[in-house]
Amino acid sequence: MTLIERKGSQTIIVADAELSVTQKPFHIVRATLSYLAELWCYRELLFTLVVRDLKVRYRNSVLGVLWSLGNPLLMMAVFTLVFTVMTPSNIEKFPIFVLCGLLPWNFFSASVIGSIRSIVDNAPLIRKVYFPREVLPLSVVLSNMVNFLIALSVLFAFILAFQMPITPWALLLPVVILVQVLFTCGIALILATVNVFYRDTQVIMEVAMLAWFFLTPIFYPIDILPRNYHLGEITIDVWRWMYMLNPMASLIATYRVILYGNGFGGAPPALDFFSRTTLTALGVLVLGILVFFRYKRLFGEEV
Amino acid sequence: MNTAIRFEHVSKRFVLHHHRARSFQELVIRLLHGQGNGRREVFWALSDVSFEVKRGETVALVGPNGAGKSTVLKLVSRIIDPTSGRIVVNGRVGALLELGTGFHPDLTGRENIYLNGAILGLQRAEIHRRIDDIIAFAEMERFIDVPVKHYSSGMYVRLGFSVAVHVEPEILLVDEVLAVGDAAFQRRCLERIDQLRADGTTIMFVSHDLNAVRRLCQRALWLEKGCVVADSSPEAVVCEYATHSYAANAALAARREAFRHGTGEVTIEEVRFLDSEGRLRDFFSTGESFTVEMRYKAHKTIERPVFGIAIHRSDGVHVTGPNTQFAQYEIPVIRGEGVVRYTVPFLPLLEGTYYVSTAVVDWNDTQMFDYHDRLYSFRILPGCAERYGLVTLKGTWSWTDQKIG
Repeated sequence: MTLIERKGSQTIIVADAELSVTQKPFHIVRATLSYLAELWCYRELLFTLVVRDLKVRYRNSVLGVLWSLGNPLLMMAVFTLVFTVMTPSNIEKFPIFVLCGLLPWNFFSASVIGSIRSIVDNAPLIRKVYFPREVLPLSVVLSNMVNFLIALSVLFAFILAFQMPITPWALLLPVVILVQVLFTCGIALILATVNVFYRDTQVIMEVAMLAWFFLTPIFYPIDILPRNYHLGEITIDVWRWMYMLNPMASLIATYRVILYGNGFGGAPPALDFFSRTTLTALGVLVLGILVFFRYKRLFGEEV
Repeated sequence: MNTAIRFEHVSKRFVLHHHRARSFQELVIRLLHGQGNGRREVFWALSDVSFEVKRGETVALVGPNGAGKSTVLKLVSRIIDPTSGRIVVNGRVGALLELGTGFHPDLTGRENIYLNGAILGLQRAEIHRRIDDIIAFAEMERFIDVPVKHYSSGMYVRLGFSVAVHVEPEILLVDEVLAVGDAAFQRRCLERIDQLRADGTTIMFVSHDLNAVRRLCQRALWLEKGCVVADSSPEAVVCEYATHSYAANAALAARREAFRHGTGEVTIEEVRFLDSEGRLRDFFSTGESFTVEMRYKAHKTIERPVFGIAIHRSDGVHVTGPNTQFAQYEIPVIRGEGVVRYTVPFLPLLEGTYYVSTAVVDWNDTQMFDYHDRLYSFRILPGCAERYGLVTLKGTWSWTDQKIG
């Protein structure tokens, strides 16, 4: 990797080939520090991009903020119709149940789909101006987070309207959101990078996200998954695997437990699962950072 | 610290992937067909380039397309990384690479100024301090709160330029963008660049416009195939480069068969421009001696041929169209090879680019043997005291303060 070092207003760019093996570790530490300082300088850009995303989103629709709430509410109405009237599933206060899954999912899905394109869509900018490229996918995730927070307030309004208690467990909400943001950022960094080199990533991911949606307990409770599924000779604990393999399942289950419980107000979450999910999210984030940093110096040539 | 930019043995290699899969779909198809992932070709855009630019200097990069000029700018602005070598950059880099890049169509001009400023690395407070100057310079007061998708392309570019020059870069990179907006705005752009220069901004300037290079720069670097071949005063480099590019130009012209027509009984084999000492040139100054030389080949005996040329300015104005018949210069008969020259002892043309057409016809102007439509060009460099219009008539002025009569 090319070493970039900044001292005040001086920037020194040293090609990888110039560094000896013994110099490398030392240089990497210095480069990382100056990189972090630079990222701090560009915090304004991240903020401006988030504001831009939100402004554009709300300016172009007559209903403004209401529109971004309209989508999950409509979905909620459809799911409620299907699962309480057409095939009754006996879930207490189904609208709350489904919103607890739908809102975090929409946040995740919109962030992933939006960030995949973020590098490629800004190709003219990337070819012409230097700025830390990671602000592009990260700004997509953050603006969707703001959107999610607005939508959450509607969820709270619904909880009150259904005369459900809001328990102290709801105070864990910021932690759960933080874990989801870390996980989403990791996925966003990986996929945005892949899309620079293979442009159909976004098409593939749109299909994949739909599959992922159905494989995540959003409109069904995770507890309906079989604990002993027989596939020939092998017995599979689908419920356990879902928690293990799908961090979104674990996240949504946690949102649901602390806000909805079983329809009677938030309850304590399964901490062992949640802490494992946190580790997974951090792992994905680290992987995302590594992939992005390995390839971002090629963005200027490839996009 | 007197250095603004220093390149130390910098090389940049691009790997060109021929037919590399650009999607997973292609990748899968390739793997099924047992093809590898395309051919790789290595291309050195820069090889072992070293130079230093002092703080406050204005340096031009000249050279043909693909010589590595833009690669140098991209390396300085960190859009791409070097393959080997070291680059030291002192100061904030601003780039006039493509104006208005990064404007969002749905946001207003004012919002885009903040966005663009942030992309260039400014804090909100810094932009806030300059926003009035930016709007005033772009002459956008009336439209600044309108979404930029309603802007004309001229307004777009004006606002882009205004933001770029007001972020107060210590090093400004300019890549062929001065030809923007109307004449008045262009003049103000140049004035603004002059002012930045006077304030001590280091400017690195890529241009094919050799006149601008001579006017704006104190030094010129000539790049050829990724190497620095000359580094000295703009006068010397421009002169050398223009002479060198002459040969390349002539070779290019010969290939443009589409602009030739005629029966081919006489063909014009070569057209050259010569100065008073018979040296090949494709740039001249007003008032110099100028000769067009045509080498022809007559494939059969032709009686009383007429040779002519036409000179057009780059904007299409037909300046002149002399031929041997108008001059009552009769060539009795030609066969085989020969040379015809047209000499102007005092070239009255003013600064600009001019195109030359050449023709051979028969005496009655009924048969066109060979016609080269604007295949050749030369340039008149600035430097003449007269600036307006097409030609100098070399008139004289006189004055008297007495009443006439």
